[in-house]
Amino acid sequence: MSITRITAFLKTWEGLLAVILAVILALNVALAPEFLSVQNQINLFQLSIEKIIVALVMTFIIISAEIDLSVASVMGLSACLFGVLATGGMPGALAILLCLLMGAAAGAFNAFWIAYLRIPSLVVTLAMLIMFRGLARVLLEDRGLSNFPEWFNALGRDAVIGPLPLALVVFLIMLVILWIVLHRTGFGRQVFVIGNNAEVARYSGVRVARIRTALFIMSGVVAAMAGLFYAARLASVRGDAATGFELDIITMVLLGGVSVFGGRGSMLGVLLSILIVLNLRNGMSLLNITGHIQTGIIGLLLIGSVLVPNLLQDFQARSAKQARKA
Amino acid sequence: MTAALSDMSFDIQPGEVHAIVGENGAGKSTLIKIMTGVHQPDSGEVVVQGQTVTISSTEEAQRHGIAAIYQEPMVFPDLDVAENIYISHKGLGALMNWRKLYADAAGQIAKLGVTLDVRRAASGLTLAEQQTVEIARALSLNVRVLIMDEPTASLSAHEVDKLMAVVAALKAQGVGIIYISHRLEEIFRVADRVTVMRDGKHISTRPIAEVTQGKMVADMVGRAIDKFAMKTAANDHGGEILSVSGLARDGVFRNVNFNLHKGEVLCFAGLIGSRRTDVGLALFGVEPATAGEIKIDGAPRRIHTPQQAMEQGIAYVSEDRRKLGLAMTMPIFANASLPSLRKFLKAFGLIDGDAERRMAEGYRDQLSIKSPDVLIDVGKLSGGNQQKVMLAKWLETRPRILVFDEPTRGIDVGAKTEVHNIIRKLAADGVAVIVISSDLPEVLALADRVLVMREGQQMGIFDIAQASQEKIMALATGQTEAAS
Repeated sequence: MSITRITAFLKTWEGLLAVILAVILALNVALAPEFLSVQNQINLFQLSIEKIIVALVMTFIIISAEIDLSVASVMGLSACLFGVLATGGMPGALAILLCLLMGAAAGAFNAFWIAYLRIPSLVVTLAMLIMFRGLARVLLEDRGLSNFPEWFNALGRDAVIGPLPLALVVFLIMLVILWIVLHRTGFGRQVFVIGNNAEVARYSGVRVARIRTALFIMSGVVAAMAGLFYAARLASVRGDAATGFELDIITMVLLGGVSVFGGRGSMLGVLLSILIVLNLRNGMSLLNITGHIQTGIIGLLLIGSVLVPNLLQDFQARSAKQARKA
Repeated sequence: MTAALSDMSFDIQPGEVHAIVGENGAGKSTLIKIMTGVHQPDSGEVVVQGQTVTISSTEEAQRHGIAAIYQEPMVFPDLDVAENIYISHKGLGALMNWRKLYADAAGQIAKLGVTLDVRRAASGLTLAEQQTVEIARALSLNVRVLIMDEPTASLSAHEVDKLMAVVAALKAQGVGIIYISHRLEEIFRVADRVTVMRDGKHISTRPIAEVTQGKMVADMVGRAIDKFAMKTAANDHGGEILSVSGLARDGVFRNVNFNLHKGEVLCFAGLIGSRRTDVGLALFGVEPATAGEIKIDGAPRRIHTPQQAMEQGIAYVSEDRRKLGLAMTMPIFANASLPSLRKFLKAFGLIDGDAERRMAEGYRDQLSIKSPDVLIDVGKLSGGNQQKVMLAKWLETRPRILVFDEPTRGIDVGAKTEVHNIIRKLAADGVAVIVISSDLPEVLALADRVLVMREGQQMGIFDIAQASQEKIMALATGQTEAAS
């Protein structure tokens, strides 16, 4: 990589994120030398693993200029459904399959309103956030369920490849596949075009509704799967499982430089943003900063992530204007 | 750049209706925008009652007593009639005197000689009633000059009569009216004087008594016809590829009939709002037809989606590059490959980036798109180059029937000639081309045959040898006596 290419990269949003990440990592290492150990990094991923899995799919949804607020409720419902089925005596594999099917159905239900009736996804998925959460609460009421099969709990806990637990392996595989799908395939290209201008896509023969449907079904299935990982990791489930996760997920995606208006973004940005959020929380914990303040600081980062590109653009436009005048 | 409007002089007297006519692009809209403060003139002045004024905003225009109403009335649907009338009034006080407001509003409406309940919500009003509300709003601001831009374009005949009565009432109150319309018969009904504009210039101003429709049309189209070479001998065309009979879309257009041969250029002529684009959209399946038949190679085809149209080899190049044509913040190559993306896919749906780039570079050289590489966002290109990217994207689908909507709108003269040459070359290669154009010289330069539409109706279809600007304009404006 030549010097000019490095400076060009540093001027991009991803470049900025890379610098921020480097600073956070350096500070963390200075605070606690054992921080970079493999086990610590794995623990750090494990704490938010369900959110970052869903964030990969949310990246597609937001690039297509939509939003899915219902993911956390689908996660919760999936976890509760599994609890009820598994503790009720159904074979675990069948229960898992039913949960994933429920996720697909939830996604298809979202897609019906959004892709075919063109009701804004913000409204539809907000309604579904409430509805699916309500269903989860109906299923479990005030109970908590915990006597899952031992093999299920082990899935959430034990390493399957080297030191990596299953959920992290799944995350890494999904990251590679979805990275390629988003940036290298015709499907990914069409997602970008739809987010850029859905009418242009339609007038170019892109099957816009079909792609939107695929995205929301993918979101539902992956959220249901993430809900199962959540239940396995905690070895228990309650009706309020995963409440509020959708905001953390969307924050990671937007901080990654994905445009909230659609059409722009990259998997690299989202990956860097995930690493920043995880390591920042870890570092702040080392400094004994409480969870609420951590959340506040990440909120500030998000505001900054929306402001900085705008300010940069303004600045560039202005200097270009002055250059023209001169 | 040519000036949108140059050396334009005209005046308006109290109680006079002064009509302005001209083809699309003659500069009428620019004139209105200057008078209402949307645009600033580079030179010249506006004089109101003997005083030179500068108008830098619509608000300032209103202070000088100038207001405009348009084809699509601007009303707030959730407010009632009275609220809409007084919406731009300031200083009504912190506490509204509703009773006075409604009484005053009713007074304004009465002055126009119409009956309309001022407490009705604007959303329930017809277009004509909404226009009345707009006019009453202008009156309440003591307007002295009212500009009416195509006020009857969306009205029924009955509603037009009512509007004419309102115009008469305004005249009686000493309001000067600038009346812009494509409908020449209306102009003879209301106007006292007529000004003709063409290519941003003032051509003539005459009292209505001294004007005939023929004279007016001649003034409107009388530009140098040798600007583009007229198409001379008709080409030897191939076999019929497309035949359309009784095509209609409810409430939009009806009974469109034509056929099209390989290598032929058929132009759809007509004024803005004549629904030519809608016929194009029906052929492309974006807004499918609700009646009639489309036959391709002699076989009836159902075209209800763009995909079905593309399978039949139909391509549609939109008139609206920005909204419907190009993804502005995506690079040239991605725009160029979009409709034919499938051709560039390898195993697992992966895009063959090299092939895609080579294709885009091929079109860049072939169509002389001025850009150092094909990685640049199309939004950064000039209008003419964007138009060529749009053409590239559809040529790559190897269309047999190309519908080209306003191929040269908003691009400079050089690029225009290039686009014309590309269209001729496509036809020579056997592509059947439909060009939708509001630019009459362009129609005469490109067409083998011309189909003229007016208000959703096919007015005629004839060989270019029998066409003239006057004949097309006469059909497009609906005056049949001049058509012979």
